Amino acid sequence: MDIVVKKIVREVKGGNQEAFAELVELYKDRVYHVAYRILGNVHEAQDVSQEAFLRAYTNLDSYDENRKFSTWIYRIATNLAIDRIRKKKPDFNLEDRVGGTENLDYHSQFADETPLPEEQIVKLEMQEWVQDEIMQLPPKYRTAVILKYIEDLSLKEIAEVMNLPVATVKTRIHRGREALRKRLG
Amino acid sequence: MACSREQRTLIDTYLDEEMTTREAEQLERHLQECPECRSYVDECSTAVARLRSMARLEAPAGFTDQVMKSLPKQPKRRQWKTWIRRHPMVITAATFFLVFLISLSSVMGGEETVSVEGSGQYLIDESQNMVVVPEDAVVEGDLVVRNGSVEVNGEVTGDVVIINGQHLQASTARISGEIEEIDESMEWLWYEIKDFMKDAFSFSGNGTENEDSR
Repeated sequence: MDIVVKKIVREVKGGNQEAFAELVELYKDRVYHVAYRILGNVHEAQDVSQEAFLRAYTNLDSYDENRKFSTWIYRIATNLAIDRIRKKKPDFNLEDRVGGTENLDYHSQFADETPLPEEQIVKLEMQEWVQDEIMQLPPKYRTAVILKYIEDLSLKEIAEVMNLPVATVKTRIHRGREALRKRLG
Repeated sequence: MACSREQRTLIDTYLDEEMTTREAEQLERHLQECPECRSYVDECSTAVARLRSMARLEAPAGFTDQVMKSLPKQPKRRQWKTWIRRHPMVITAATFFLVFLISLSSVMGGEETVSVEGSGQYLIDESQNMVVVPEDAVVEGDLVVRNGSVEVNGEVTGDVVIINGQHLQASTARISGEIEEIDESMEWLWYEIKDFMKDAFSFSGNGTENEDSR
């Protein structure tokens, strides 16, 4: 697999634009899936994944062949998706202070043990419900949780995708998991 | 929650599946006794299971085409380079043709004296630019004459080719092959190409046979 990818990358770098289609074929589903899980919207997911491949093409010279191509393309796609969220609505952090309060942070704002109304569970399909809950996570936890539990990447790979130390990635996964425990557990 | 923060950290490690078997057994014993920690672990596991159960989505149809259309157009030079890389035979053929043209121009630009290719007995009269195959002579294979005329009185087992000259045939002549008179360089070019192709095919077909007959 890696040898095949390396060969295609060299072809494209050598000026064979058409060979890039093979790379897109290999990674399009994974890229689209991650983009969709982060954004929760079909159109935006398609937009972001296409943009990700376009950027990969124009920046192919900066791709380090000793690393996995999947990690590189995930990184481009997740960054674009997170950018998209940030532009859409103001970002906030679980650690940020709630406006007008002294010691209250957003952690305390999660309705701890309140179960979701039954009719809501019935109404929403399970998948939609879980997706909605993912969307409630702050972007930086969202990416970590998706890469870990939905894409099943190793901590090391996630660290590379997010350009963060493994310890930081772990913390984000724990925080994200904790938030989802309250809503999905 | 009655249990300490350290207990929570231990549980995180447990859920990350980064515990040794002994540590895990120890924690599991604690979970048996502590309903709060147990429900915490259960909730986390359920949340994770729900995440893992999410359906895999595929990129929409036509995705690759759309990406390819969005790519910046390649500069012409690069396209040309790619094209060359993908069609090495064309370059080989072009190189052959170039070499051929060079050799052609050297021949065309050469002196106007008569030159002959062929094996057998024949006379060359340079003052009249004339090649004569005497009555009892035999030329084995083709006879090619440049810049001169040919008078065949004897026998030619192959073709007779005259470039920039005339063919004068006596009644006694026996020519097994064809007679070709070529006056213009383009025609000659055509003849050379035909000849080259014939050679190429007979080489690949008969191996060394062709070599022996010359």
